[in-house]
Amino acid sequence: MNFLKTSTAHPLFLFLNIGLSVTYFIFICFLFPIGNPVLFGLLIVGEIFHIWQVFGYIHSVWPRKRVSEFDENFTPAVAIYITVTGEPADIVEETVKAATQMDYPNFNVYILNDGFVAKRENWSEAEELAERYGITCLTRQMSGGAKAGNINHAMTKTKEPFIVVFDADHVPVKEFLKKMMGYFVDRKVAFVQSPQYYKNFEENLVTGGAWEQQELFFGAISMGKNTTNSAFMCGTNMAIRRTALDEVGGMSEFSIAEDFLTSLLIHQKKWKSVYVGEVLASGLSPEDFLSYYKQQFRWARGSLEVAFKYNPLFRRGLTFSQKVQYLSSASFYVSGVIVLMNAVLPLLYFYLGLEPLTIGTMTLALIFIPYILVVLYTIQLTSNFSYTFRALSFSMSSFPIHIKALWQIMIGKKSGFVVTSKKAIRGNHGYLVAPHLIYIAVMVVGVLVAFVREGFTPSVLSNLAWALVYVAVFIPFIMAAFQKVGAEETLPLKPAKKQSVQ
Amino acid sequence: MRRFFKRLWPSSETGQAVVVLGVLMAFATALSIFVFSKSSLRLDEAQSLFQVSRDIGGTLYVVAQDVHVPGYHLLLQAWTFIFGDDITAARLLSLGFFLATIPMVYVLGKLVFSHNVGLYAALLVTISPFMQWYGSEARMYSMLAFITVLHYYFFIKLYEEGRARQWIGYTIVAILGLYTHYFFGFVLLTEVLFYVLSRKSFPKGSFKKFIVSAVVALAAFAPWLLYVRQLGTASNTQPSLTSPSSGDVFNTYAQFLFGFQVDALNTIIVSLWPVVVLLAFFALQKNQKITKPAVFLFVAAVIPIIAAFIASVIVRPFYLSRYLIVSLPPLVILMAWIFSTYPLKVRRLLQTVLVVLTLGLLAIQVLSPQTPVKEDYSVAVAYLNQQVTAQDVVVVAAPFTIYPTEYYYTGAAKLTTQPIWNRFESGSVPAYNKNTVKAETDKNVLPYQYAYLMLSYDQGYNEKLKTYYGSRFELVSTKDFSEGLTIYRYKIRYDPPIIVGQ
Repeated sequence: MNFLKTSTAHPLFLFLNIGLSVTYFIFICFLFPIGNPVLFGLLIVGEIFHIWQVFGYIHSVWPRKRVSEFDENFTPAVAIYITVTGEPADIVEETVKAATQMDYPNFNVYILNDGFVAKRENWSEAEELAERYGITCLTRQMSGGAKAGNINHAMTKTKEPFIVVFDADHVPVKEFLKKMMGYFVDRKVAFVQSPQYYKNFEENLVTGGAWEQQELFFGAISMGKNTTNSAFMCGTNMAIRRTALDEVGGMSEFSIAEDFLTSLLIHQKKWKSVYVGEVLASGLSPEDFLSYYKQQFRWARGSLEVAFKYNPLFRRGLTFSQKVQYLSSASFYVSGVIVLMNAVLPLLYFYLGLEPLTIGTMTLALIFIPYILVVLYTIQLTSNFSYTFRALSFSMSSFPIHIKALWQIMIGKKSGFVVTSKKAIRGNHGYLVAPHLIYIAVMVVGVLVAFVREGFTPSVLSNLAWALVYVAVFIPFIMAAFQKVGAEETLPLKPAKKQSVQ
Repeated sequence: MRRFFKRLWPSSETGQAVVVLGVLMAFATALSIFVFSKSSLRLDEAQSLFQVSRDIGGTLYVVAQDVHVPGYHLLLQAWTFIFGDDITAARLLSLGFFLATIPMVYVLGKLVFSHNVGLYAALLVTISPFMQWYGSEARMYSMLAFITVLHYYFFIKLYEEGRARQWIGYTIVAILGLYTHYFFGFVLLTEVLFYVLSRKSFPKGSFKKFIVSAVVALAAFAPWLLYVRQLGTASNTQPSLTSPSSGDVFNTYAQFLFGFQVDALNTIIVSLWPVVVLLAFFALQKNQKITKPAVFLFVAAVIPIIAAFIASVIVRPFYLSRYLIVSLPPLVILMAWIFSTYPLKVRRLLQTVLVVLTLGLLAIQVLSPQTPVKEDYSVAVAYLNQQVTAQDVVVVAAPFTIYPTEYYYTGAAKLTTQPIWNRFESGSVPAYNKNTVKAETDKNVLPYQYAYLMLSYDQGYNEKLKTYYGSRFELVSTKDFSEGLTIYRYKIRYDPPIIVGQ
């Protein structure tokens, strides 16, 4: 897998990256005349966040080595948990079949069936499947704790000292356990995570975009986190030491990003983690825009919750690197606010003539262009040229999702765990990109307003070019929303209510 | 019809290249001969012709006093000896280098990227209004562009293979480059910088060979440096330049691609700089690896300009876009490559838009009388030839504009400069001095009936001179010819001319 063949950038180049980011920041902070003070303030906040992101990324990919102990003869007993919440039987069966056929001497496969508590009509299919394959199906009768609750429930019913978790659609390779369990020979290793790989990434625009977005995380970022003992659990394709999990009270049921929070709590207890840079299981990306939207929302909501409620900076027991890495990952979803803020700046100029800085646009360009080019090149270099414009588009265009998640946290609104649909949900999902369409419309009118006010001045033209950059970035996202996908499940035209399993 | 074109279009890359490059060179030749050769002699060209209009020793002497090196001048001297010393013949030498640059850009583009990238880059360099302009000017800039591309070719060959004949070629071309323009030093600086950062990627033993090559090149160039040093103060005709601004950097790139445009149009072009960010975003494509030679071309497109900018700000101003023509070929090759990484439809659209835009702006540069760099000395001096009598005087400022004036001048009136300058004496062009302006004016114009003050190439005092003349003499008429080229007619004396025999 190309995305896992990360290459290191020279430290000097990474320093240059930080240097250019800081230079850019200093210039706009101190050396340019301030325009509108409020916009200037917002711009500075945005730039502080950008610097933080650059720093976090460079900290992740900084060239350093970590050698983890591995013994292929270490083969303890393992409980394989396949979490199911009403997913189609054919999908679950593929996972069950692959799990039972894994090449390993000592393991038991369990289906963790939450279909009943989620009131799914097909909940009994999991039990029938388990019977067919001669494995155990643990069907919960009492809801609570969503996926984390399901795992915790299973832990009370099983005894194996190690647990492996697969989502219903994540099909492991035969060697999965052989390649994962050997790391537990180090008694301080609490969990081992392998990448999530979406085998359906060529299916349509949504699966493609979702996968390309994932590549950077499961490639350069996770590989980098591994070097600082900061890799965290990602919900599936992971192996966990029971004692470590017991020590933190099982999978955390207080967050919808249960894997992320539990990892943090485990690291606090001085346990180690390992990230294996090899695809050992392949799953399914959300195939429709609504499912993608819900998945992103869940991740954003969960991560932001960790950032605000369990701020890694102030958690005792974490190393400096772990603090940086956890906060960097958790705060990624704040970027939605920054994207919106930056996107709105040209509109404010069109309608009100307001600018955060009153400098010649060329001076800004002279410091901005080297900065952005070096940042983009660093990402490409360290991700083995796997990052794409579509990934960038999906990340930036997800700003309404991120803002919604942030807003819900700020007002203290509760949110349930929504299982990502494993098959395409047919319907019109165009309403999900309404903010982007409104942006385009407001921009077109705004250009006319600005033109009438002052003609095509350099400021109008520069702001027009910036607005067009955002429009171009939004287009792949908008196209994905309007793409027609499979017809397995039909939902009403208005946003679906969450499918909570709590 | 289709079959006809299919037959016409060779299937091999070499065949295609021959056909396309042949067409491009024919286009450049036609444009040069039928359009650019008809334009007026320009100041710099007049200077070239003046400098080579003497024996070899004399040419070396005046060139050493100037801001240039003698390679081009000695070649031009031989050229004019064979083909005649009129401006059309002199321009053909530059055209030859321009034509040679076109296939060389293809070869370099193909070497670093691919056949298609090479062809598109060759197309861009052919229709570049900047290259067209200097490909038809009797100066060393097209020669400098050609030698730079050739040197980059050898440099990349050294990076990839490092054969003996490549080292020889590299060293010889380095010597030629040093004797073509002082700014070739920035080409070498770029290579040194790249070598320092990527020395491990070069074949073994490269360092020693680079040292040998550098020693040989410097030894070959040393006699010239010693000669200039021995003569003492140089810069006989060095124009006074102001410190560059950030806008100049972007103007340079804008000029490379879109030529010399009037301020209004140029402002539109450079104000749209955020589009560069979008083009960089588009370039984020999976597996589009940026090879080391590609990085080198990026460095070559940027470093000379940034280095010249910084040196001009810190040391002394010498920033002129034409001196930086060394960055044009790598820039167009890079652009051709970046476009080639885009999805097919986007690529074709952007390639077409860029070509149409460039051709449109080339047409504007050719046809518009407002094109900033146009110096219509032929028409201005033709006007003088018609107007002046033996009782009048023609005063030109800046003093070195006497070269193009003299080329066309056949009038009966005396021709002089202000400040008064004896260009046959050693030393720099005298600067404007408010303490001597009265004495110089008296000396220049008092004995005559009318003074024709021809102002062009403002060195910071044209307005002062005009004001001074206006304060003492009656302004009779004003006539503009091209951007910054104006003739003012003053009545000096009111006593009637003495008619002999009355």
